[in-house]
Amino acid sequence: MDRMTLSIPVSDVLVARAKAGDLEALEGLYRAFETPVYNLVRRMLRRPEDAEDVLQETFLEVVKSIGRYRGDGHLWGWIRQIAASKALMRLRRDKLRATETLDEEVAGGRSAGVAIGIDLERAFEQLSELSRTVVWLHDVEGFTHEEIAEQMGKTVSFSKSQLARAHARMRAWLAPDGGAA
Amino acid sequence: MHCTMDDLLALQDGEGSVWARRHSESCGACRAELDALYQRIAGLKALPARRPPRDRWNTVRAAIVAQRVQRRHRWMGIGLAAAAGLAGFLIIRPIMGEKVYAEQLAQAKQQSAQLESTLRDYDPDSRVVSGRSAALCAQIEEQIAQLDGQLTQSALEAQNRELLMLWRQRVDLMRQLVTVRVMRAAYVGL
Repeated sequence: MDRMTLSIPVSDVLVARAKAGDLEALEGLYRAFETPVYNLVRRMLRRPEDAEDVLQETFLEVVKSIGRYRGDGHLWGWIRQIAASKALMRLRRDKLRATETLDEEVAGGRSAGVAIGIDLERAFEQLSELSRTVVWLHDVEGFTHEEIAEQMGKTVSFSKSQLARAHARMRAWLAPDGGAA
Repeated sequence: MHCTMDDLLALQDGEGSVWARRHSESCGACRAELDALYQRIAGLKALPARRPPRDRWNTVRAAIVAQRVQRRHRWMGIGLAAAAGLAGFLIIRPIMGEKVYAEQLAQAKQQSAQLESTLRDYDPDSRVVSGRSAALCAQIEEQIAQLDGQLTQSALEAQNRELLMLWRQRVDLMRQLVTVRVMRAAYVGL
């Protein structure tokens, strides 16, 4: 299974060349981070075309700001912050589209005996974009509630309550009776 | 009383209360909920990476190049504006400077002419001066003659700034001559 790694090794030489504006080096960075960035923003955003746009916006921001990257901490951590911020901007722009309910197709698919991983993924995708964002940033990317609150312009309690509600929903949807009880 | 989802998430974050920690250790149902939570999180982390459906590098690259061209044009615009400003400054400043010099030169010539007129009106040739004053006058007149020679030579070649300097020297000498002729003569007259 192709999992996202916590740190993506990138040579200092490549970063230095990218800072100097070398297009080949920038392409090197793009190739190294396009999938992690796309995966992150695609988990946050419902529409693939939005995720593609954010991927592009993220790299244009990376190109613009890489001169300010001081090299302290993982480059992925820095790029991830940019990507999350861009995705959140997209969410705010689109007024936080929300679809909270699990549709019939998903419920039917789960009870038909599809693999648990698929169930979990589908349950996750049925969360609102706001809840998905909090769950993904906290549980997968390792953001603290403080960092999420700062990124979203909300409070720490908001982040915590969103996470708890999202997990309660997923727990119910993934229960043998599909949360009907 | 069992752990809430908030309690379980706090435990998972390592921030759970003492009560929640003790309870989850002793309560089978809560222990199972906590395990399920860990499994869900592990399952999310294990989800396959979503890959971009298309290669967007060419679009990103084109946008980078376009931004660079735009930035270069902006800088060129600023550069051209600065160059135009500098050129204007360099062109206008001499013109303005020349205008000022020309005005001051005319003023110096006028002062010199007035002093010449004062001296003529005084009619120095018909006046009696001391030998010492006459020698001084002769010395000043000699300096004025030399200066007039320089002015004649420079008239076509020199810039207004140089001519102004020469004419100002002439005005000074003329003042000295007037002073010596008129004042000394007056003194002698006394």
